[in-house]
Amino acid sequence: MRPRTVIVLLAGVIIGALVTTPLYLTPASPSKSITVFAGAAAAPVYSEAAELFKNKYGVKVELRLGGSGSVLSAMKIAKTGDLYIPGSPEYLLEAAKSNIIDISSVKKLTYLVPAIIVQKGNPHNIRSLEDLTRPGLRVGIADPSSVCVGLYAKELLEKNGLWESVKSNIVVNAQSCEATAALIPTGAVDVIIGWHVFEDWYPDKAERIWVEPSKVPKIGYIAGAVSVFAEDKALAGKFLDFLASEDVAEIWAKYGYYASEQEARQHAPNAAIEDLT
Amino acid sequence: MKPLRVIAFSCLIFLSLFIVTIIASSSLFTSPSALASAILSDEIIFAISLTLFTATISTAGALALAIPAAYALAQANFPGKSIVDTFIDIPIALPPVALGTALLIFFTNTPLGVFINNSVIKFVFELPGIILAQFTVVSVLAVRLLKPVFESIDPRYVMIARTLGDSELRAFFRVTLPLAKGGLLGAAVLTWARALGEFGATVTLAGATRFKTETLSIAMFLSLAVADLEKAMAIILILLALTVATLLVTRRLFYRRSMI
Repeated sequence: MRPRTVIVLLAGVIIGALVTTPLYLTPASPSKSITVFAGAAAAPVYSEAAELFKNKYGVKVELRLGGSGSVLSAMKIAKTGDLYIPGSPEYLLEAAKSNIIDISSVKKLTYLVPAIIVQKGNPHNIRSLEDLTRPGLRVGIADPSSVCVGLYAKELLEKNGLWESVKSNIVVNAQSCEATAALIPTGAVDVIIGWHVFEDWYPDKAERIWVEPSKVPKIGYIAGAVSVFAEDKALAGKFLDFLASEDVAEIWAKYGYYASEQEARQHAPNAAIEDLT
Repeated sequence: MKPLRVIAFSCLIFLSLFIVTIIASSSLFTSPSALASAILSDEIIFAISLTLFTATISTAGALALAIPAAYALAQANFPGKSIVDTFIDIPIALPPVALGTALLIFFTNTPLGVFINNSVIKFVFELPGIILAQFTVVSVLAVRLLKPVFESIDPRYVMIARTLGDSELRAFFRVTLPLAKGGLLGAAVLTWARALGEFGATVTLAGATRFKTETLSIAMFLSLAVADLEKAMAIILILLALTVATLLVTRRLFYRRSMI
């Protein structure tokens, strides 16, 4: 390649970058806006809901996404943010303890049912929780001491008297919800106990086996709360209510989440739903 | 063959294969169609241009400071030099997330930082935050890379230029810089490549907001977080293509004098 060609190429890159600058340097819209610190797993739902909210009420919603714990750290340090929506509710307790959120503003947005998740086509022919005790099967769960879905998995096994016999098959304790779900498409394990929605995260690679409804002791959920740093608490609360409204129920459903308790109850009629307070 | 040669070449071959294999395996989770649709999506086009833009500015800023700083470290002796030298190494050893957290604390919890963030440039959760985060990570790296370049230049050339009537400054631009050209370029490319993939400090200071602070590495992080493995791997391949293209082009251009 001749030096001249290279210079032209480099110049092209630089000019390209400069020309597209307006794309990302457009000033923030002068109208009202709220900032949401959210766990990234349900981000597609929040993004669509934010778009809908902007069209309906003219309020811009800015999402700052990441691990539930890391975005909480960012809120604590920067003392900012209007809403906090972690992937699982124990982070709300944590946030309440550090006086980041108002616990009375906690609102449940969507419900999650624990389920068995296997590779597409169910190559190990797993039909029930009991099958997880089969010798040689590689089972993965989230870390029960730190990740919500891991605690639910452990409780599910314990309540059905299977914890001791499945324990020896557990080869990994994943450190987040997403990491647990990824164990199936990457083929790291044969089976996991996760949320029902994991199948919708990897429709081509994962398959869900429902646990017999009477055996599910507890249903999980995603909830959000208004932050103490919110300048317009009413507006922040409005978006939180909006996420739990009929308007957004369709979006939740599109991504496989249950927006109402009744829907989740089909798969776990007797399950408890733990409140934070 | 002699034993040393066998060991040396085996290690080289092992390292090359190791890198090629792990990189090639990331293509397992993507497909040409996923790659194409990723490259053509607004989100990735935005991320590519934001990444090129921020990495170029942060590298330029880093070099502007690192060239004189490395020159000072290499050529001059002054009291406390070894302490300064050690301080400059600290950010290299720290995880970028720690640097980002320190920056975030500075701009939101100290009077000077809050003043700068509120009245001069807004860094926290904004685009300039990306540039500053990259700058923090790569500027010290640039100093580290440039110091041996200046050390390798024989001071006698400068002395001769001085005896022929050049001022110190003129000798630096006429003798030292041209002699350092290959090394400078190598350092610049590596610095830019490092800025291109910076993640930890960026995500902490500038946050992960789609279409705002979404560089390629943040786009990859967000894709992993929503369990979109195909897109995440497509982004890795894009980053890889950018890096390889830059390294190849620079190597060709400055083949003979190159230190890269």
